[in-house]
Amino acid sequence: MSAQPATNTMHADVLIIGSGAGGATTATVLAEAGFDVLVVEEGDWVEQGSVVPFSLDQMDRQYRAGGVTVALGLPSIAYTEGRCAGGGTEVNSGLYWRPPGDVLERWRDQFRIDDFDPDDLLAIAAEVEHEISVGPVPGPYSEPSEVLRRGADALGWRNGEIPRWMTYPKGAPATAGERQSMTRTYLPRAMRAGARIATGCRVDRLEAQGGKAVRAITTLADGSPGVITFRHVFVCGGAIQSPALLQRSGIRGHIGRSLAVHPTVKLAARFADPINVPDDVPVHQVKEFAPHLSFGGSASNPGLVALNLLDQWPTFKRAVTDWQHISVYYAAITSEGRGRVFSVPRLRDPIVTYGLTGRDRELLRSGMARLTLLMLEAGALEVFPSFKGAPIVRNRKDVATMQRSFAATKASVMTVHLCSTVPMGEDTDRCGADSFGRVHGQSNVYVNDASLLPTAPGVNPQASVMAFAIRNARHFVATGGNRA
Amino acid sequence: MRQVPALPVVASFAERLLALDLPDLPPSHRHDAVEFVARRVDGLPSFTRFGVLVLGTVFRTLLSLPGGWPLARIVMRLPLPLVAEYPRLVRSLSFAYIWEHWPHTSPTGAQPAEAAA
Repeated sequence: MSAQPATNTMHADVLIIGSGAGGATTATVLAEAGFDVLVVEEGDWVEQGSVVPFSLDQMDRQYRAGGVTVALGLPSIAYTEGRCAGGGTEVNSGLYWRPPGDVLERWRDQFRIDDFDPDDLLAIAAEVEHEISVGPVPGPYSEPSEVLRRGADALGWRNGEIPRWMTYPKGAPATAGERQSMTRTYLPRAMRAGARIATGCRVDRLEAQGGKAVRAITTLADGSPGVITFRHVFVCGGAIQSPALLQRSGIRGHIGRSLAVHPTVKLAARFADPINVPDDVPVHQVKEFAPHLSFGGSASNPGLVALNLLDQWPTFKRAVTDWQHISVYYAAITSEGRGRVFSVPRLRDPIVTYGLTGRDRELLRSGMARLTLLMLEAGALEVFPSFKGAPIVRNRKDVATMQRSFAATKASVMTVHLCSTVPMGEDTDRCGADSFGRVHGQSNVYVNDASLLPTAPGVNPQASVMAFAIRNARHFVATGGNRA
Repeated sequence: MRQVPALPVVASFAERLLALDLPDLPPSHRHDAVEFVARRVDGLPSFTRFGVLVLGTVFRTLLSLPGGWPLARIVMRLPLPLVAEYPRLVRSLSFAYIWEHWPHTSPTGAQPAEAAA
């Protein structure tokens, strides 16, 4: 089952822009309720297995701008967005975290989300877990994952396996999982219910008539212009593209002003034995200092190992030949900083900025030090922190030296979790959409993706995105979709 | 609007930077890596691409001057955030490409004997 290329003129009762965690679930709920649904996706439908995970080829085919996107600031923060059928679910780590109950309560109270019971959302999360086969890995963990467990246990730090939405061929190792991404689960289900999915279609702007959005102006993959007419539109392009599209469409309000991310710093650790797994990530995370600070493992193919040695290449470079003994790890923080997404007339892509606070910078410093310590406890012979001027760390004394020389402005800071650019709730001073994702001031324009999460949840956000998207889509169905 | 292709803007700087960092990298590998960098710059979001091409033009102009390369190296070391991002971008893309395609490349860029044969 696959999608069809978009055509120049299309029509749908409900247009869904974007096919990731938010768009795919929205399409499923609406199509199964009998709505005429069209999902448009800017990228291609790429079959799983046709690209090597975390490779440059995958970045070319499934990431926006080949994975080279950045939020400007001091430091600038590199980020990635999926740009393919299934969106970020096709390319991320596949680790699953339910939204924390205390975070849900805080969102409800502080942003005034109406008719919202966290237990109801967690019940939806349970449905999602069944649909995408969330569970532990079979058999032994990969060695990079064992490193996290071993180091944290030695320090007495709380850690555990994070379940993944993967299935495993019988008898296959933990690294042979097949991700149950949107192209394997919700998108085929939506299509079975009658939804159409059109790829190679960028929506440039929405146009209104009589106070209602009525058509989307598009550009197809061959560069030709197109138009899609609709009665309702759900914008599900992710936390960067969704606010950018609304802004290009002249929709104002609290749109794109409160980007929240989990900034991350990295290191490469070298061990005596071969450890490298090029095409998978560890399933363990260390949560001793959560929600402020979490540790986990990153993709570590040889190219990415070289990338992590780059900031201090003159002294780190000799390690690159030993990449089979090296794995890459990260420290992620819950940031108090905020970013912005803004569209500039005549520019095709939005400008993204992000500012870390002083507290964020200190947390990154402490995160790098603690992660380094954890690596030493796990048996690392050498640790190579990714920042300019970093020393090679071989013992606890070196950790103190490293911590003193760290500065966030010298580090390669990145993130993969982007959210909160159209926060949901009834507080119109801080929310761009209402309690069910309808954009404030609009009668038939909805957002239903990571943009709605009021703040960064402190954990992998995919489960939160999917559960909220299903909740909001069900509300749309229950109210007949007849606000327009 | 037609895009200015990135290759002529970034090629000379990227070639020199790679020759400095990885002096033993075979010219064909260096050429492939530079082309990859240019392709990625061509695919950057519009504002970032504009900034990179402006910086690329500045460095290309520097390199065209007598004594330009030593001057460019001095400029690269200045603590200017945006200016420093340019060589970092070129290095990041090219190193990721080189070690993904030829994972046994040495720290100087040399290839193992069997690969070179």
